[in-house]
Amino acid sequence: MGLNKFTSDIIQDSLISIGEAMFETIQRTSMSPIIYEALDYAVGITDGEGQLLAQGNGVITFLAAMSLVVEETLERFDEDNPLKEGDVVMANTPYAGGGTHLSDIALITPIFYKGERVAFTVNKAHWTDIGGTNPGSVSTVSTEIYQEGMHFPFIKVKEEGKLNQAVIKMLEANVRLPKSTLGDLFSGIAANDVGAERIIKLIEKYGLKAYKEAAKEFMEYGERISLKELQKIPNGVYENIGWIENDGFGNGPFPLKLKITISDEHMTCDFTGSHEQLKGPLNLSRTGLETAVRAAFKAITTPTLPANNGSFKHVRLICPENTIVSAKSPAPISVYYEVFLAAIDLLLKTLGPVVPEKLPAGHFRSVCVTYISGIHPVTNEFYVQAEPLSGGWGACAFHDGNRGQFSYAHGESYNIPAETRERKYGVVVKEYAFHNEGGGYGEFQGGNGQYLTFEILSDEAFLTGAFLGYSIPTWGLNEGKEGSYNYFTVIRTDGTEEQHNIVTNVRLNKGDKVKLVTATGGGYGNPLNRPIEKVKQDLKNGFITKEQALEHYNFS
Amino acid sequence: MRVATDIGGTFTDLVCFDYDKKNREVKNVEVSKSSTTPGEFEKGILNAISKIDLDLASIEFFVHGTTVVINAITERKGSKTALITTEGFRDVLEIARGTRPDLYNFNFKKEEPFVERYLRQEVKERINYLGEVITPLEESSVDEHIAMFIKEGVEAIAICFLHGYKNPIHEKKLAAYIRTKYPQFEIITSHEVTREWREYERTSSTVLSAYVKPIATKYLNNLTYHLQKLGYKNSLYIMQSNGGITTIEDVKANPITLIESGPASGMLGAVVLGRTIGKKNLLVLDIGGTTAKCSLIENGVPKIVTTYNIEKTKTQAGFPILTPVIDIVEIGNGGGSIAWLDDGGKMRVGPKSAAANPGPSSYGKGGLNFTTTDANVACNRIHKDYFLGGELKPDFDSLEKAALPLCEELGMSLEEIARGVIRVANSNMINALKSVSVNKGYDPRDFSLVVIGGGGPMHGAYLAEELQIPQVIVPLNAGVFSAFGMLMSDLRRDYIRTNVMDLNADYFSMVKHVFQEMENEAINAYERDAYDKDDIKFEHYLDLRYAGQEHSVKLRLSDLSNLKIDEIEKAFHQLHKKRYAFSLIETKIEIVNYHLVAEVIVNKPVIAKVSPKGILMKDALLASEKVDFDELGIHLSSFFDRDKLEPGMTASGPAIIVEQSTSTVIPPNHQFTIDAHANIIITKTE
Repeated sequence: MGLNKFTSDIIQDSLISIGEAMFETIQRTSMSPIIYEALDYAVGITDGEGQLLAQGNGVITFLAAMSLVVEETLERFDEDNPLKEGDVVMANTPYAGGGTHLSDIALITPIFYKGERVAFTVNKAHWTDIGGTNPGSVSTVSTEIYQEGMHFPFIKVKEEGKLNQAVIKMLEANVRLPKSTLGDLFSGIAANDVGAERIIKLIEKYGLKAYKEAAKEFMEYGERISLKELQKIPNGVYENIGWIENDGFGNGPFPLKLKITISDEHMTCDFTGSHEQLKGPLNLSRTGLETAVRAAFKAITTPTLPANNGSFKHVRLICPENTIVSAKSPAPISVYYEVFLAAIDLLLKTLGPVVPEKLPAGHFRSVCVTYISGIHPVTNEFYVQAEPLSGGWGACAFHDGNRGQFSYAHGESYNIPAETRERKYGVVVKEYAFHNEGGGYGEFQGGNGQYLTFEILSDEAFLTGAFLGYSIPTWGLNEGKEGSYNYFTVIRTDGTEEQHNIVTNVRLNKGDKVKLVTATGGGYGNPLNRPIEKVKQDLKNGFITKEQALEHYNFS
Repeated sequence: MRVATDIGGTFTDLVCFDYDKKNREVKNVEVSKSSTTPGEFEKGILNAISKIDLDLASIEFFVHGTTVVINAITERKGSKTALITTEGFRDVLEIARGTRPDLYNFNFKKEEPFVERYLRQEVKERINYLGEVITPLEESSVDEHIAMFIKEGVEAIAICFLHGYKNPIHEKKLAAYIRTKYPQFEIITSHEVTREWREYERTSSTVLSAYVKPIATKYLNNLTYHLQKLGYKNSLYIMQSNGGITTIEDVKANPITLIESGPASGMLGAVVLGRTIGKKNLLVLDIGGTTAKCSLIENGVPKIVTTYNIEKTKTQAGFPILTPVIDIVEIGNGGGSIAWLDDGGKMRVGPKSAAANPGPSSYGKGGLNFTTTDANVACNRIHKDYFLGGELKPDFDSLEKAALPLCEELGMSLEEIARGVIRVANSNMINALKSVSVNKGYDPRDFSLVVIGGGGPMHGAYLAEELQIPQVIVPLNAGVFSAFGMLMSDLRRDYIRTNVMDLNADYFSMVKHVFQEMENEAINAYERDAYDKDDIKFEHYLDLRYAGQEHSVKLRLSDLSNLKIDEIEKAFHQLHKKRYAFSLIETKIEIVNYHLVAEVIVNKPVIAKVSPKGILMKDALLASEKVDFDELGIHLSSFFDRDKLEPGMTASGPAIIVEQSTSTVIPPNHQFTIDAHANIIITKTE
């Protein structure tokens, strides 16, 4: 061993802690609540060639992005136009380099030590608004990417230490919240600088050779341990189909096809045969699909260890161009996250029966986002309430499904408390509680979905939302039963009810109630193997009804 | 005589001293240490008392820091608790904030709430965000729920209604109703715990306070009884998490204020020490048997936060508690922390600890795991003759046996393993120190490092060097400094209220009115404990934010009777810029929370200068032996007896300074000086 083992371990741990410091810098200095409260961002450190060394995420949708965006940067800035010390590259291209949708902006900073490029610090964050047709730059009815905001195709926002004023002015002129948007830009640049400074210090302390050696060992460690785990998974070819139920225009459902081949050397995920890209914004780019595939691989190999490029050396993605999961320009893409979730769901549904102790049954599979806008009844100010909703998770081999949990696409995301919501948006929350609409029966019971019901106090308000999973229930595993559905209902003052799933700008009047419903997760194992004490306790707790207990657990 | 006791995860410390009635200077400090006795914590205290034959009849002041609350929670040994809440909201406690830090583990299991669903019951009532009653409360509607609680053996009931922070009328009514009609329950309402908004955080805090209320009450009553039996005649004081002390009765009403009782006092002791020796910017590191805690003190004032999170880890969201706590970062990295190899063969230290029982392998009490303490013994940084205050000889057979699996797995010698363990432990602590300093925009070079606890002085010099902190201070009695800190504390109560409004000079009478109400509440509480209104000192703070933003900063109002809008705005912009790196000069400012600190200054001692007795340096020398300093080599080092080191003495490393409860390590490239108060000051040799 060339390098002292403990020195190597400490350099690796230091890189992880530098990642944490970058993460905290953004949380501390960003001006948009979606970044510092919902933690919809990620930070990363790569080596000089874009190999990921350390990463900090608040959500999982950026898992692959950190290294892919640096690799793409290296490709676009070749010898004719090289990266220089003091440069910062900005990119939100959805179709390449770890892209998701235009709202997610990556900032890439090359780091030089004595003239040699030794690392990159990089981050990617969801900016509240990036221009386009709708506030928030998200729409369920866009048909081209041009409607979804400004596009920065890997440009230098800072060149040799000097800010590109032309870009700054264009940003200022084209977004709805210029002050906080620029604030977020500077916050991201600052975070990269914090990382850069610490990496240089680390190299100065231990020497460039030790740093490179430690990085190499770290990569090998990632590869070694994930390969070891991969080899525990039975070899074979596993196929399945998933669905995107709607393109935002009422057409669908559209199939997603997947064939996974597991060998001792590789996990190969082939999405050939998936439907061609859609007219509406429910599309995912290939590079977004890469994240879904890596996340699934990580979940079945090394879910708790830090991610690096070594960990993903043995996973491969095959997918032709222009499909729903490999969309090309100018496909609209702002609701990519629903397709991302469908892709992860399909991957896990396919792998679940292969490694039933590592993965749970299906969860509610939607971000369940709603936007409500109106005039506040007390302050008379315009408001937009945008929020995801938590729901039921699938049960697994060891425990019942979680209740009241955000989707897989989230992570350290937080709900909006009723007490702050009522003040800010002038609505009254009537109910924030689990339902027992049924489903998810199994030896381990799927987690209950929930209701969020609130009453509109403004004279009028408008509701936009996208809940997939309204016609196809969450799936059970290992003889566990399927769960239930996501949907939302408008209850008018006269008592009539309208049910919705994907819709833009439903008009609401004072006194109308909106009831959001998320699905119950799938069950795991045969329901008849569920211990009677647990069924009794579920009844006592009201998680299931008497009728359900009798019908599905044979208990009365 | 004044006495303080501090129960830690591993040891129960006792410090007592006299002080000069005229100049209030401390004299005749005595220290006693005994093993912590989980389950019956009062026993450890009584053991520590009898160890030094303390006559409690002569004690005028007894203060206590306890882990009884935090232990009841972490070990899930609190009482069966029920929750009563607003119709439609019984699941708030379980939904929590919906967050999942464990990103890629889809088998993730959310923590079980402290109250199961059938014990979370709703009543019809509603208050809106303006504090107006929309649906009145019908108290008797709770009867059927109570009947069920009785049948289920519930001991404590938490009551938390929506917007109860704004208008607690329904909580008050329902509590009064239950207290009168069903006196067998311990009741606690959310507004008694906190008047901050966010229903999940408030519900969680109320539930946890209820959960520990019976056990804390019983423990405190027991302790009082035993102390009185031993002759103690005065009131017993308890250390709270906010860095102040309070009375037993106050604590029993809302015991969750004890959540970080012990660690807070160490930080407070450092503040007092800093004031005494003219050091206002301090990083404080307290390494105990199970954890290391660190905190940053800026300009002589510790940071108080009002949201604490218990059991928050990299994979779990934990449980929030809204109670004022000195801002402390705690990591599972103490003397007893166990070294192990992860799946990838990387060395890890902690968070699992050998704790009090069986303790590190070198204790020879059956500990099978190699710990940081063992590594320090193996490197001879803890001398075999002065191990555990010289009471015990380290068991080297047991130590070698514990290290064997690590040696075999990594193909290394015991010495290499020991160095590695110390390095990894140091690296963990450096990351913790960075998280309270550099990661928050502070430069460690502007601070002094105060190291306390049994382990702090052993690691301090190395950590300071790595962080470029110019100076390390090892206070007198560093090993029992938490207990010492309690004896330097005043009575303190914090009152926090959410009342969102624009910051505007037109509303200043309203601001004063809110504070007046809060002051009255404080005066009533102190008067119940027989303190005089005129002895209370108030401090007023506002949590302010920019409209549209979520994060706020705490601003102290210098003079409530003479508020100046320009000054407040300017101070806020500056503070915001410092904390969050930006200010929005043209954006409207909002008041979110009112925060009142009500202190009663007690007659407490001051840290005295120590006058030299004319001891010679060579008389303090205990031994010269080889010590392993890892990368700096193995060196013949002087072992000094701290009790014989006098102000003005100075020497170069390598050296080890031995005292009863800890050892201070001076590496080869460092030197030390004893200051006028007998603190050890370590600096790097030029």
